[in-house]
Amino acid sequence: MYGSASTHDIPTKATTGLENEDPILLAEFEARIARGEKIEPTDWMPQLYRKQLTRMIEQHAHSEIIGSLPEGTWITRAPGFRRKMAQMAKVQDEVGHAQLLYSAAETLGKTREQMLSDLVNGKSKYSNVFNYPTPTWADSNVISWLIDAGAIVNQMANAKGSYGPYCRALDRICAEEAFHLKYGHDAVVHMATGTPIQRKMMQEALNRWWPAIMTFFGPSDKMSTHTEILMRWKVKMATNDACRQQFLDMYVPKIWEIGLTLPDANLRKNEDGVWEFSEPDWEDFKRVINGDGPCNAERIAVRRAAEENGAWVRRAMQQPQAKYVRPLA
Amino acid sequence: MLSSFDPRISRLELPESAPPPSDKAALDQFPTYEVFHQRKENAAYVYVGPVHAPEADVAFLFGKEQFSRRFPCTGMWVVLTSAIQVTEYGDDQQSVYDRLPLPLLPADQLAAADAAGMESYDIFHLKKRGKAHAHVGQVSATSPEAALQAAKAAFGDQRPVVNVWVIRSADLLRSDEADRDMWTTTPDKKYREAISYKVQDRIDRFKQEG
Ligand SMILES: [Fe+2]
Ligand SMILES: [Fe+2]
Ligand SMILES: [Fe+2]
Repeated sequence: MYGSASTHDIPTKATTGLENEDPILLAEFEARIARGEKIEPTDWMPQLYRKQLTRMIEQHAHSEIIGSLPEGTWITRAPGFRRKMAQMAKVQDEVGHAQLLYSAAETLGKTREQMLSDLVNGKSKYSNVFNYPTPTWADSNVISWLIDAGAIVNQMANAKGSYGPYCRALDRICAEEAFHLKYGHDAVVHMATGTPIQRKMMQEALNRWWPAIMTFFGPSDKMSTHTEILMRWKVKMATNDACRQQFLDMYVPKIWEIGLTLPDANLRKNEDGVWEFSEPDWEDFKRVINGDGPCNAERIAVRRAAEENGAWVRRAMQQPQAKYVRPLA
Repeated sequence: MLSSFDPRISRLELPESAPPPSDKAALDQFPTYEVFHQRKENAAYVYVGPVHAPEADVAFLFGKEQFSRRFPCTGMWVVLTSAIQVTEYGDDQQSVYDRLPLPLLPADQLAAADAAGMESYDIFHLKKRGKAHAHVGQVSATSPEAALQAAKAAFGDQRPVVNVWVIRSADLLRSDEADRDMWTTTPDKKYREAISYKVQDRIDRFKQEG
């Protein structure tokens, strides 16, 4: 799920540091990207490219791990054996996505140990939507369908980016996401076209999740030089607004066609084909992403407990002669 | 204590807040191995990605779990990352072999040169940046450098070749032919295929009844 260049970066200062880079190497790097060639780990790259990609891929990895928690808690309570198996397979996929992404980020120089530490000590972020709870099975279905749908919009765009290892990981991830999307859609349709109680449950879950979904792609990009450079380098493949519009265009009709409503009276597609909506509460978004949401503490605590409980296994398997080498590709 | 919608999490009796743990020690996540898979019988082995593992056998298990769980696979190789000799990367459309000095001896003489110190090496080519290295064959040589020369003689006419990996054959842990049946992914796991979710009928019926 969940990659995005800037969802979690509310940019502070747009210093690019480009003036410190070797102009000849920089020109070659940019020419390669302009030709449509990918960058591989041993290539020269500007500091800003390395830094931004590391943060982006790392946050994407964290989002897969943390995102598997709210759905994971529903495996045992999913209605029926088949749904339990499918929910379990999906959660397992998501955790696998995190593994692929950590490795891709590692090729840029940050160790996996450091990324995992930064997740549990709160130094790096993950997709803010997972700081909200899934009180019912229908809430889990909303994640499976619509959060994954949002993630797929991002991932399909990023798979055309310029960094080789991230593209390789995303190709694999996108292939697995096809199942998540269909599975999630099926689950939501089942509830929405079911008994009046099922329908009510689904509508209430959707009402709970809609504000968070509208923040999924992040605030409108300030079109700074920073954004412009990252798009030229194919780190950021589309603006947050463009992703949000694409998502609304693809999924609002599918939501409406099964008789569900969305809790925003201003949501409509205007004559120019652009979706209008009430501006999300970005102050609240900031408050939650900075730690003060309903589930932040639980997500981190569960992750820390998992790390601690596995520590003895890792210690037992450690080889004294082992040496760290970055993955190659 | 944390209380959650999930009773299993509440039962963990986790503290509501705790001081952040100290950073992980180096190699807490183990060294890296690179994994190659074979998508179907007789196809070339292709690079699929890295895993972290304490040793090759465990790397193999992790690789199997990570890379063969969802898609067809008929074989897998793993190798410690540090055991791979990597050339520089060329541009798409080029061949990195062009940058190597010509071999001192023709291939057949090179092969006969020092049969005593000969070892087998596996050669992998990357055809295009962003794609994956694929196995092209084996050569015999006395060192990785000589193996690269031998690879140029044997496979240098293939192009483009953006990058070459040279691996001493003995360093690759390979799945056993005798264990082929371990790759027969359970065909009854249809629930994880997108194609088994057909929801349009239900939507149409709902709309008609509407
Ligand atoms: Fe997913
Ligand atoms: Fe995912
Ligand atoms: Fe997901």
